Amino acid sequence: MTRRVCIVGGATTPFDYGPTGFESIEGGAAECIREVQRDIPNFSLIDVDLMIYSHFSVHFGHQLCSEWIIHDHLGLVGVPHYRVENGGNTGGSALYAAALAVKSGQHDVVGVIGWETMDSVSQSQGSEFIALASDIRYELLVGGIYPIYYAAMANKWMKDNNVNEEDVASIGAKNRNHAMDNPKAQWYRNEHKYITVDDVMNSRLISYPIKKYDCCLMSRGVAFLLVCSEEYAKKVNPDHYCTLDGLGLSSCTIRAGDRLNFPGWTKRYGEGYPEMTEFGACRASAEMAYKMADIKNPLKEIDFGEIHDAFSTSEAQIYKALGLADTENIAQFLRDEQTHMHGEIPMNPGGGLMGYGHPVGATGIMSSIECFYQLAGMIPKKHLSKKTEVPNANCGIVNSHAGTGTSISNFIMRRH
Amino acid sequence: MSVTIIRKKKKFSDQPNFSVKKMYRPSDVKETGLAFIGHEISDDGKVMNQFLHYDQLYTIRHGWNSKFFKGLLEGKIWGTRCPKCGDIWVPIRTHCWNLDCDLEITEWIEMPLTAKVHTWTIAGWSGRSSLKRLPIILVYAVIGDSKVAIANELHGIDPWDVEFQMPLKVVFKPKEERVGAVTDFHFEPAEGWTPSPMNPEKERIKKLVEPVYEWVKTMK
Ligand SMILES: [Zn+2]
Repeated sequence: MTRRVCIVGGATTPFDYGPTGFESIEGGAAECIREVQRDIPNFSLIDVDLMIYSHFSVHFGHQLCSEWIIHDHLGLVGVPHYRVENGGNTGGSALYAAALAVKSGQHDVVGVIGWETMDSVSQSQGSEFIALASDIRYELLVGGIYPIYYAAMANKWMKDNNVNEEDVASIGAKNRNHAMDNPKAQWYRNEHKYITVDDVMNSRLISYPIKKYDCCLMSRGVAFLLVCSEEYAKKVNPDHYCTLDGLGLSSCTIRAGDRLNFPGWTKRYGEGYPEMTEFGACRASAEMAYKMADIKNPLKEIDFGEIHDAFSTSEAQIYKALGLADTENIAQFLRDEQTHMHGEIPMNPGGGLMGYGHPVGATGIMSSIECFYQLAGMIPKKHLSKKTEVPNANCGIVNSHAGTGTSISNFIMRRH
Repeated sequence: MSVTIIRKKKKFSDQPNFSVKKMYRPSDVKETGLAFIGHEISDDGKVMNQFLHYDQLYTIRHGWNSKFFKGLLEGKIWGTRCPKCGDIWVPIRTHCWNLDCDLEITEWIEMPLTAKVHTWTIAGWSGRSSLKRLPIILVYAVIGDSKVAIANELHGIDPWDVEFQMPLKVVFKPKEERVGAVTDFHFEPAEGWTPSPMNPEKERIKKLVEPVYEWVKTMK
C-alpha cells in the first residue's frame, strides 16, 4: 500500500503583466511561502525535504537555471531540488513529480514553486517564443503561433459537435467574471470589468473562430504549493488538509496533424480518435486519475474543477475529454451553463487562465491552489466574496495542459 | 603481457564538406552577443528595469531528415513510408511510429503535389515576424496518401471561401527565393475548384476579417 499524498497549503503572488506588479521571482516565491505560513503557522521551511521547481521557458526568464536563484534565496541550500519542464503542463507535471516523491516514501514534505515572467518580451515576441514549442522544423513561420493551431483544431471540433461561437464565448465571459472576485487575478488587477458574451463575440479576431476574449492572458507570476505525507498534514493542518486521491498524466503528438491515425490511440480508442479535435491525452489521463480515485461518474462525483482554459474553445473540448459530456449533448451542456457557478460542475471559479492569468510554469500550481482553497473552505478568506465559492465542495479536479494537447495531467483532490 | 600504444587517433567518421552555402541574413543584423543596452527607473524611484539584448545564430542540423528540406529547394515534397506496415508520412518519420514495427527504418518516396484540407483557420494575429502578412489562412492538409496532416498557408482565395475537404495543390516559391524551409511552399485551390456561394458563416468571417486588412495597412 503506497502512502497518501496530501496538500496542506499554497499561495500565489498577484498575477500581472507589464507595468503592474513588481516582485522579483525569488522575492515573489518568498512572499508566497510567507502567506502559507500565515495560513498554517505550524509549517516551517525547515521541514521541507525536497523542492521541485516548475518553470517553462528560459526565453522568458533570460536566465538559465533560475530555480537556483530562488532556492538559495529561500535559505534551502542543502535541500535537494530539481526543475520540471513540460510546456503548459509544467505545473501539473511538477505536482505529479511531487506526488510520486511522497507516495514512494522517499520524501515527506515537498515544496513546489512555479513561475514565469512573460512580460520580459513584447506580446507578439512572446507568442513567437511559445511557438518554439511547436515543431519548428515543420511549423514555425507558416503563420503559426499556438492560438492559430488551437483555432484550426477548435473550428473542426465545433462543427463536429454542433457547438457555435456563442457557446464557447460564454466560457470566456464566465472565467473573466469569476476573476472579478479574485484580488490576485490579472483580469481583476488590470482590465477590471465584467464582460458579456457579446463582448467576447465583438472582440478582435485572433484566429477564426477564436477572438481576443476567447484567449488566456500572458502573465508574470509565482506560485507555491505544499505537498506532503498524511502524517505531516495532520501535524500542520489537521482540520483543512486535502488528499490527492487520483493522478493521471498522458501524452499526444507535438504536431496536431500527426494524431489523425496514431497507432497508439487507434489501439486504445479505435479508428478516428482523437482526430485533430479531441484531447486524447486529457481523456487518458482523466481515466487514470478516475480509476485511482474510484470515480465512476465524473459529472456526479466531482463538484468543480480548475482546468486549463488557454482558450474558451479548449475548455469546452476539455469538458468532453473529461467525460462530462459527449458529442450528442456537449452543445446543450454548454447552453445549460452546467459549468457556471449555478451549474452542475462549476469550472474555474478562481478565474482560470483567462481571468487569473497564465504565467506558464505557475499555472498548474495556481489551479491546484484554487482547488485546495475551495476544498479547505478558504474561499471567503482568499476571494472577495462567497460568490465564487462552490458550496459544500468535497471533490475537485485539477487539469494542466501543454502544447496542442501534447501533455496533459489530471488530479482528483478531496477534502479530508 | 603486451601493450599496444596507439600513436595516431583513429578517425571514426568522416566530416561532411559543405561547399554549397548560402546566407540570406540581412547585412545590418550583427551577432553582438549579450549586452546591457539600457535601463529605466520609475518616477517614484522604487523600481528599475534593465534592457538586455542578445542575438544568436542557430544551426539546425537536419541530419537524417535532410532529404525533405533539400527537396524543398528543388520544388519536391518528400515523404517516407514504412516498408513493414506501409504507413506514409509528410512531415516525415525516419523510423516507423507503429510499435509493432520495432522502429523500422523508413524509405523515402516522392509525394504528389496534391492535398486536401483537413481543417482550417483564419489568423488575424500572429507572431512578430508574420504580422504584416495577415490575415493568413492556415490549413492542416493531407498530402497524397499521408497518414498525417501538415500545416501551411493557403493562398489564392478570399479567407471566407476556405472549406473542409477542399482539394489543393502544392505551390513552390520561385527557385531563387527558396530557403529549404516549409515556407518555400504554400497551398492553393486545385484547378477547377470554385468557392460555394456566400452564407451566414462566410458573412460572419468576412465581418471579422475586414478590420484585420485595415489594421495591417496601418502597420509600418
Ligand atoms: Zn511500420
